[in-house]
Amino acid sequence: MSTRTGAPPTDSPLARRNPTVKLGLLIAVSLAAVLILDPVTPSVLYVLALVAVTATVRVPARDLVLAHVPFVLFATGVLVVNALARPGTVLWQAGPLRVTVEGLEIGGALAARTLLIGVLAIGFLLSTDGVALMTSLHHNARLGPRITYAILAGYRMLQEMPREWATIRFAHAVRADPRESGSAPRGPRHLAGVIFTLLVVSVRKGERMAQALESRGLGLEPRTTWRPVHVTRADWLMVVGVVAAVALVLLVSGMLGQLEGPGALFR
Amino acid sequence: MTTRAEQAGAVELTGVSVTFPRRAAPVLRDVSLRLAPGEQVVVLGASGSGKSTVLHTITGVIPHTVHAEVTGQVTVAGTMTQETPVVERSRYLGVVAQDPSSAVCLPDVEQELALPLENHAVDPATIDAKITGVLEVVGAAHLRTRATAALSGGESQRVALAAALVTEPEVLLLDEPTSMLDPDGVAAVRGALTQAVARYRPAVVLVEHRLDEWAGADGTAALPSRAVVLDESGAVLADGPTGVVLRDHARRLHAAGCWLPLDAELRALTGADGGLTNPANVAYLQSLTDTEWVADEPQGEPLLVARGLAVTRDQSPRRRRGDPEPAPLLTGVDLTVRPGEIVAILGANGVGKSTLLLTLAGLLPPWAGTVDGPRPGLVFQNAEHQFVATTVRAEIAHGPLPGRAEEVVTRQLERHRLAHLADQNPFRLSGGEKRRLSLAAMLAHDRPVLLADEPTLGLDRRDAVATAETLRNVADSGGAVVLVSHDVRTVAALADRVVVLGDGYVLADGTPAEVLRDHAVLDRARLRLPALVSWLLTRQPQSLRTVLRRLDDAVRTASSDRNVPTTAGSGAQEQGVLR
Repeated sequence: MSTRTGAPPTDSPLARRNPTVKLGLLIAVSLAAVLILDPVTPSVLYVLALVAVTATVRVPARDLVLAHVPFVLFATGVLVVNALARPGTVLWQAGPLRVTVEGLEIGGALAARTLLIGVLAIGFLLSTDGVALMTSLHHNARLGPRITYAILAGYRMLQEMPREWATIRFAHAVRADPRESGSAPRGPRHLAGVIFTLLVVSVRKGERMAQALESRGLGLEPRTTWRPVHVTRADWLMVVGVVAAVALVLLVSGMLGQLEGPGALFR
Repeated sequence: MTTRAEQAGAVELTGVSVTFPRRAAPVLRDVSLRLAPGEQVVVLGASGSGKSTVLHTITGVIPHTVHAEVTGQVTVAGTMTQETPVVERSRYLGVVAQDPSSAVCLPDVEQELALPLENHAVDPATIDAKITGVLEVVGAAHLRTRATAALSGGESQRVALAAALVTEPEVLLLDEPTSMLDPDGVAAVRGALTQAVARYRPAVVLVEHRLDEWAGADGTAALPSRAVVLDESGAVLADGPTGVVLRDHARRLHAAGCWLPLDAELRALTGADGGLTNPANVAYLQSLTDTEWVADEPQGEPLLVARGLAVTRDQSPRRRRGDPEPAPLLTGVDLTVRPGEIVAILGANGVGKSTLLLTLAGLLPPWAGTVDGPRPGLVFQNAEHQFVATTVRAEIAHGPLPGRAEEVVTRQLERHRLAHLADQNPFRLSGGEKRRLSLAAMLAHDRPVLLADEPTLGLDRRDAVATAETLRNVADSGGAVVLVSHDVRTVAALADRVVVLGDGYVLADGTPAEVLRDHAVLDRARLRLPALVSWLLTRQPQSLRTVLRRLDDAVRTASSDRNVPTTAGSGAQEQGVLR
């Protein structure tokens, strides 16, 4: 998620959509994907999602590929483990290594699912501002003000933490052995000390921020909302489009006899 | 006994005593204070006299958030009592606290200001205009769309002031709102406050120990019209018009280590009013110079040499290809520090003073140029950043100490008046004690050069004087000190040489009297001189340092005179629990 200290997300069609709606769709499609256990359907959905994300999020191809790395690694692992470990019709065997058809199918399904959820998450994160998400969750998903503003205040503390971390490291390093020239010591004891100091300093700062929020009346009832975040027609159109696309893929897949549910696991 | 006042005050404390758990003596004793709507009061007292506790008792943080035993009556806006929780009281109160970095809680300035209005259920249609209005009053209209992470300390405090006033509370509570700011920030926040109070007319309770900076050139007249003085035991010593209170108690406040407006400080020393316009005070200042102080030319081999130094904070090795090389903050810094020297570095916020110290300390690699000499020690602006241990004793023992660690620790505990705190947790000490500990722990390492980043920031006068003395001892015993400070008075009293940074390089380098008289340099570096320093520079520049040191000595003498009987009396039972 883009932070305010870094660049805000570049303006794009997806970036203009309501964050809560986007998060809802991400969760809904992910849940639907969990129930699909054939390799073809989630692969088609993945390709569609990839095209949609590329088309609606203005992001360099390089960033998109880099963001894929963890998901690709995980998907590969899932595929290999399933292919080798799942019992069934043997496709290929060499000594103790044995690849089964069922294993490849289930592994492929799980791998494709990983990539599908991955690309949706990437699209969400690259197009959503963290603060806008919290505000939208507060307005559209009725997240309580105390939780919302506590998270926003925590977010502000996080913004300052790297600098405090650096300062504390320097402060500890300056008393290290001067004969060890060069950079700050890195041992676990040193690190533990830095973390301890950062923790104490942050807890105290958190207390002061909590007091400041309370002194501004956070927690009073009733309250009003300035500039509520609305769910617009375009948001609803996006919901309809995504749901229709997923339904269509499932329908066609079912008609072609490709679609498999969780039952595939127990065959 | 009178019955309840018909017209309730904005704030009423009646016989309030506050005792923290595990402490025998109360922090506040039988404090009564009635504040009429729109009335302004400044609360004075030494460190630890309970000034902030008064504010916390009004907001309800004590006893609702911070546990303490409270007796007596607290009434806010006529209806709220000590049973009322903090958030309910917030309907009538606005608060500005000390630390700018925790004063602003949300990512955007606009959100920050909308939050209190939303919480108070203000009609959303009016919120926009209210935000515009309050930002104009505090002179921060240009900050409206800024991210709060990008604000300077002075800007943060102005936004915090706006957030406190935007709901137009009956009472505004100010807990040392400028003590962590540079002079630029102090001036901006003070100006904003004057405007805002004139516009919204809340009752004001101000706790501030840098009364000299707060009052500025106007002296006592620039302070709130009423003053309440708390004595060391937390009881009300005086309550009345500020001019009268300061006149009657100047000597005592001076001895207690409070920063006072110049007229009050001189009154404490001479008994004469009117500050520098009174011939008696002028004669006194002239009398401080009768033995001329002669500067020793620093001799000996240099301890630290920087040549053609350029510094940058950005050390990120993971720059992407094609990104431009970050520009250095400062370039062309040549600095030679010899034994016995104290060099002060002055400059506006963000000019690169702290980065320069980190580079001189060998903690950041130079962007260009070289730093030669044995590795210096460094004490940081926030002493807490240095603390690694859970007791004062262990804190000093941290790291490879020269000689036998036990002896070094005992020596440092004695030398820096920390022996009675040896088993305390460093994080629980007072501001002055934390500073002493950070110096004691760093100096235990016997590095020839000590670098110090804002060593007197946030300290009361007595602790600031004590810190300056410690730095001077380092230089007098053959070491050298390089300090960064915004406190021009402390610098003028302490430094042999002043280096002024601005516009990315060194603007001036010379004796304090030379450099501080150069108005072109001061303007470019956005430095302001305290009234006393600029008066001395015009009238008797050659004795600038002598006079300032004598005035510091006067604080030390006055406070030690007073301290002798107290230590023998009630002080003994409080040993070990003093904060």
